[in-house]
Amino acid sequence: MTLLIGIVLAFMRVSVIAFGGAYAAIPLVENEAVAVQGWMTYEQFADLVALDEITPGPIIINSATFVGMRVAGIPGAIAATLGSILIPCTLVMLLYRLYSRFKGSAMMDNVMVSLKCMAIALIASTLVRLAAAAFMPDGNLPSITRGCYTIVVMGTAFFLIHNRQISPLPVMLGCGLVNLVACSLLPLMA
Amino acid sequence: MNRRDAGKERLGSKLLALFWTIFTISATANSGYAILAVMQDEFVKKRAWFSENQMADNIAIVQSTPGAMAVNASMVVGYQVAGLLGSLVAVLGCILPPIVVMIVVTCFYEAIVGNELVRLFMRGMQLGVVGMLLNVVVSLFVNVTKDGLAYPVVLMALAFTYVHFLGWPIPYLAIGCAMAGIAKTLLVSKGVRRR
Repeated sequence: MTLLIGIVLAFMRVSVIAFGGAYAAIPLVENEAVAVQGWMTYEQFADLVALDEITPGPIIINSATFVGMRVAGIPGAIAATLGSILIPCTLVMLLYRLYSRFKGSAMMDNVMVSLKCMAIALIASTLVRLAAAAFMPDGNLPSITRGCYTIVVMGTAFFLIHNRQISPLPVMLGCGLVNLVACSLLPLMA
Repeated sequence: MNRRDAGKERLGSKLLALFWTIFTISATANSGYAILAVMQDEFVKKRAWFSENQMADNIAIVQSTPGAMAVNASMVVGYQVAGLLGSLVAVLGCILPPIVVMIVVTCFYEAIVGNELVRLFMRGMQLGVVGMLLNVVVSLFVNVTKDGLAYPVVLMALAFTYVHFLGWPIPYLAIGCAMAGIAKTLLVSKGVRRR
């Protein structure tokens, strides 16, 4: 029980400082689980990074579940997830109530436009990193065929969603399937 | 009695749609950000539960808060659809898949991480997520620039430099952006009065 409470508190701490999405969160979780709490080694934590690449879901929740599971089984996984969502959910609700209260005033409109500009910058930053990671999975420039293929798939996905109004989910699954088929049939691509 | 039943039914089907939409994307997409694209598509375009502008505001609120972006977005959107019950249902839909998947995956770690087919499929989906996010960025850009180009473009460029190249902490950026909005209001209203 003490361990479970410890897990909840540890992930509360991580969640409050985890601004700006997945790339910011992983080092924070690593620091908490490895350096602060000593729950696992760096090598064990590296497994998580490999897992994050191939598992769905928000990365903060994934890493919380992973660490909780390793430390205290299924109860640990649930404790870690709860710990990492409690404070952010409360904060976002408070912010939303504040926004609803002043919505429609010129002041709030300008604040929202400014925050939307920030949101665009944050998403664009993630977009650039994701695109770079997809384009150069091992950190080196890909072959011409491989590079063109990556760009064509990304571009087609955007075109289908933006211009053809096709739902994002099937497009994303389609991309997975195309990549699976293309890379298994044409070894050049992989 | 009949009307109440109908109201209940509507709420029930709304909650179901809310849960299912968020659950499916959370169970498949590798990035939490993908949820924004799906919410825009399903809740704004298809079901018209709220406007494009409301969704853009939601994204701004969510980005100003720490924690898992997808969970916070579920919280706010769920609340708009059906109050706190909606929030609960939406957040559950968002966290259930990763919890279950991670528990299963941790048990069969070797078999799954070593599997080439899983890796290729997930990598392909990442390419799709890039396309989805580009669409989110484009629609947000259209939303913020509808009342003039100069202010949003300058602020976006500054914010992007701050986050991407400098890598400085985001809370200060959020406060800075909010203050820029307040300053703009004060300056503009002063200008109007002078005229």
